[in-house]
Amino acid sequence: MNSNIPFLNASIAQALDYTAPILFAALGGVMSENAGVVNIALEGMMRFAAFFGVWGSFVSGNAWVGLLWGVGIGIVLGALHAYITVKWAGDQIISGVAINVMAMGMITYLLESVFKTTGYSPPVAYFGAPASKIHLAFLKGIPILGAFAELTILIWFALILVVVLHFVLYHTVLGLRIRAVGENPHAAETLGVNVFKIKWFAVISGSVLAAFGGLALSLGTLSSFTNSMAMGKGFIGLAAMIFGKWTPFGALGAILIFAGAQVLQLFMQGTATGFAKLIPLGFYLSLPYMLTIGALIGVVGKAVGPASDGVPYKKES
Amino acid sequence: MKALEVKGIVKQFPGVLANDNINLSINKGEIYAIVGENGAGKSTLMKIIYGLYTPTSGEIFVFDKKVDIKTPYDAIGLKIGMVHQEFMLIPRFTVTQNIVLGDEPSKGIVFDYKKALNEVEELSEKFGLKVDPAEKVANLPVGIQQRVEILKILRRGAEILIFDEPTAVLTPEETEDLFKTLMKLKKNGKTIIFISHKLKEVIAIADRIAVLRRGKLQGIVERGKTSEVELARMVVGRDVVLKIPKAEAKVGGTVVSIRDLTVKSKRGIIGLKEVSFDVCAGEIVGIAGVEGNGQAELVNALIGFTRPIKGTIAFDGEEIRVITPFNIRKKGMAYIPKDRKMRGLVLPFRSRENIIMGQHTLYPFSKNGVLNNIEIDKFTTKKLEEFDVRPRDIHTRARNLSGGNQQKLILAKEMSMEHKFLLASQPTRGLDIGAMEFVYHKLIEEKERGMAILLISLELSEIMGLSDRILVLYNGEIVGETTPDKTTEEELGLMMLGLKKQKRVAQ
Repeated sequence: MNSNIPFLNASIAQALDYTAPILFAALGGVMSENAGVVNIALEGMMRFAAFFGVWGSFVSGNAWVGLLWGVGIGIVLGALHAYITVKWAGDQIISGVAINVMAMGMITYLLESVFKTTGYSPPVAYFGAPASKIHLAFLKGIPILGAFAELTILIWFALILVVVLHFVLYHTVLGLRIRAVGENPHAAETLGVNVFKIKWFAVISGSVLAAFGGLALSLGTLSSFTNSMAMGKGFIGLAAMIFGKWTPFGALGAILIFAGAQVLQLFMQGTATGFAKLIPLGFYLSLPYMLTIGALIGVVGKAVGPASDGVPYKKES
Repeated sequence: MKALEVKGIVKQFPGVLANDNINLSINKGEIYAIVGENGAGKSTLMKIIYGLYTPTSGEIFVFDKKVDIKTPYDAIGLKIGMVHQEFMLIPRFTVTQNIVLGDEPSKGIVFDYKKALNEVEELSEKFGLKVDPAEKVANLPVGIQQRVEILKILRRGAEILIFDEPTAVLTPEETEDLFKTLMKLKKNGKTIIFISHKLKEVIAIADRIAVLRRGKLQGIVERGKTSEVELARMVVGRDVVLKIPKAEAKVGGTVVSIRDLTVKSKRGIIGLKEVSFDVCAGEIVGIAGVEGNGQAELVNALIGFTRPIKGTIAFDGEEIRVITPFNIRKKGMAYIPKDRKMRGLVLPFRSRENIIMGQHTLYPFSKNGVLNNIEIDKFTTKKLEEFDVRPRDIHTRARNLSGGNQQKLILAKEMSMEHKFLLASQPTRGLDIGAMEFVYHKLIEEKERGMAILLISLELSEIMGLSDRILVLYNGEIVGETTPDKTTEEELGLMMLGLKKQKRVAQ
């Protein structure tokens, strides 16, 4: 088995790479929906940010500038979603769909007009370059932990963010208020909590998190934008959020199940012998989804989100 | 010293004058009741004082200072607190989280939960309102949840506490507890405004009572200087017959017969134990009992929501093996549920849609799956008139009807279905006197038409006044069977508490 350790570590590292964008999206959803605003535009926001990140990096030659551009567009889109759903109490699903559709058309157009190409952008400076990765040489060679020896800063950020978001939601005054607004905005209002302010904050910061998810795709995993981004990863993040009962650690756990099956698939492809080799590849590919369905039936059957999630809040007149 | 004074308050809603020049002056440390029927303008007035509505005109003085209350936040700042009819609590939060929300003890940005727990503990001791600060609100009975609401506003330093129909959701025991709490608060120098339409309660607790009718102040009476009858006259604006007119029973054949019915409660314990009785055509059988002694289980078994673990239910002498709401209604059961909003109506639906529900597949309302709107509208218009549902508009959504009119709509729906058995589960719960009277009359009409009626009620006066036979439920068993002329409310009360048993005549 010894010879398999580098391969195992590489598989896990690859799985973490797969995890980061989905995790960002899921955390964005956790933030927004705990304040009672459903955000199905996570997918579209990822696409926007993935593109703007590459654009910024292309213009400046610096991945950090690209990151700022991506975050910027996240703020703009979050503000748009909040303007529709919080300020005007519009339908959250329709607003989300609109942003997703906008992402399809607008980005395809921008891709062609900015880079004069169809399908993908030229490569740009990115966080996945060997020099930009975070090197922890002492971990190399240790099974499993070795996977963490060379990760992009975005992957580390996603993992740390789980802890940060958990702390914010469950141990700060702001978190208590966010959750109160998502559960019963009228009760929060009568106690003098500014419901609108909290919702604006949660929607925009959630959107910024989704934007990081897009950046993790185009400036983390790849070094360019492809027109098929974000390939449903925003929606998988949404599913992981629900699966994880609207909590940061829950979402992480859900995504690790996806990713775990992913590792298994990569690992088995390379090393399977005997009987395991006879199992078709499709089985491993479908494993994450089968696991999810199984878990949804058994474990999360009773999961309920914030009581006022998705309900537009209007003041009494 | 005056705690609160309102002068010339007017609130005009589109089409309704909810408050018409109201003047009130409330002293510090008194319990001041405001009574009136549903829709008389009590809640509107309180919402104005609490900053949820803006008055069209008028002035408000708090502790002799003219104030301008635009938001609940302003009201809190002026030491006004409100216990809403529907609690403003977050079930998934703990008692402490609910109480401190919006003004949390903190270290920097970190929520100091330990300190909050201590604060709530101290507060609960100071006012003698016992709660478990660490318990989730969802796990608390309604009476305790209300206590959490009270603590919540006390923590904000409230001196004037407004209670909007606080007893509507409480059991009689919890009401007793609430009254004790109110007296404690009064002793602490707090001013209490108590809104209700239950005259008995108001007379028991209030120092002064203001009566509102159709947005106008009818008068103010002092403690001990009025009677229930006089107060009722002021509230309704005419003489009210609180006595229920008695109609002679012309008892026909047995319609429903229940044998050895044993039903599990929602919590999985036996809620109803081997209960047997008959209901005959042309009689009202009253089930008396404290809530939670098997009424819900009986109703759920009859309507087919819960499958009994033992026993039979027969309709017209024919046993129904598997009861579903569909097949028992087809046999001829009408059902007035105790919870109007959950089981009685589809709140976002219009009157015309609610009123045909259950008959919507029948001629003339539909044919081959297509609704006949002309017939439905004609039918609805007729029924709204017959059952005096206001407004008469067939397009009004059930959500926008007052409680009394919602109940009338349910009566119209259920009584216009072909039926021979009526299951009325607390049919006057939360209604004002006028609507109550209406329900009584309809029930008696039904009886005279030869319907078999099973009346479940927590109000003894209702049971005594309407029933031809009375069964007392205690702890899931029938502990007594009697008739109104052979018993008294006191005796029934003892039986309901399990202190007295009575041999039943063998069936």
